[in-house]
Amino acid sequence: MAWLRNRYTLTLGSIAVLAVSWNIYVDLNNDGIITGRVVRADQQPVGGATVVVSERSLLVAVPKGRATTNEKGEFRFTGHTLHRLYLEAYKEGVGRMPPKEFRLYFKGENLFIEKPLVLAESK
Amino acid sequence: MTQYPRWPIHLFLLFVSALMLIPFIWVLKTSLSGENIFSYPPALFPRDPHLFYYVDVWYTIPFLRYLVNSAVVSAIVVAANIVFNSMAGYALTRDFPAKRAMILLFLSCMMIPFQVTIIPAYLITKKMALLNSYLGMALPVCSTIICIFVFKASFEAIPKSLIDAARIDGLPEWRIVLRILLPLSKSAIATNVILAFIWSWNNFLWPLVIIRDQEMQTLPLGLSRFLTVVEDTTGALYAFCIMVLLPGLILFLLAQKEFIAGLTTGAAKG
Repeated sequence: MAWLRNRYTLTLGSIAVLAVSWNIYVDLNNDGIITGRVVRADQQPVGGATVVVSERSLLVAVPKGRATTNEKGEFRFTGHTLHRLYLEAYKEGVGRMPPKEFRLYFKGENLFIEKPLVLAESK
Repeated sequence: MTQYPRWPIHLFLLFVSALMLIPFIWVLKTSLSGENIFSYPPALFPRDPHLFYYVDVWYTIPFLRYLVNSAVVSAIVVAANIVFNSMAGYALTRDFPAKRAMILLFLSCMMIPFQVTIIPAYLITKKMALLNSYLGMALPVCSTIICIFVFKASFEAIPKSLIDAARIDGLPEWRIVLRILLPLSKSAIATNVILAFIWSWNNFLWPLVIIRDQEMQTLPLGLSRFLTVVEDTTGALYAFCIMVLLPGLILFLLAQKEFIAGLTTGAAKG
């Protein structure tokens, strides 16, 4: 079993194990779910706010989906296929949050946003 | 005899080694943070490092396809180099008429840059219907003169009595190379593998000339294509460079002991 301790076997084997583990991880976490909360500046949840997920090309932002928050200010998207996305939120009479960039490690990675999206009052 | 302390030499060598590592550290740092060389204040380590530039590279161009193309071409080149160079190297260890002229011819051919022979090489490849193919990309580097001489030096270091004994036992010439000389020339094989792999892996001009199809492009061609696609290139470009460099670097680090032994075989007698 000396070939198992060979540096070629160890290096290439480690790379293969890493690649397989990464692919298993990707497969378990690529449902394309995005969840988060929308709040006012005073941290009060905003129900009925619109959240838009978009992809930005070289020149324009292309909307890929829309969701409306519930009374707790929560929103949820499913089935996105992006690895670099922008979220923006707005509600008439309350305010808006300009597009914020989120970068992911693979397409369709589940994104659970801890920090709420804050609507700033429009001036 | 006076024994001088060795630590000043080691300290100096350490300093020079660190200087030589700076470009690599800079490329790695930029690939992790996107800071370009002009960022102020300058820092040795990246601020807020992340791997997202690598993700951008992976999805912006068909990286896996280019990687497979480069790997297939390199595998053909490495295999062909071992077979052809070992045969040529063995021939040069034997006596035959005009051997000296042949060696001189080989050495003078080394002076001709590839750019000079690119048009005849293209026409020959076209006649063989190998344009836009893996074999066509591999063909010009299937045998290299430096590597022939690496094999020649390695074979010459093996005692003649071993070859004579094999010949008395009735082994044909090709089996002498396969069974006796190659197993005793592991360092020459490692040198051939590394040099052939790196030359093929980094080859840009020849694939650029003969490849028409985007699906057949190799990593260096992918790099030039990548530059035309990505707007903000700093971080992603350096990440691409690291991804292209990594296989060659791993191979070199794995086989460096044999590689250095192969290059120095025959350098000293006795």
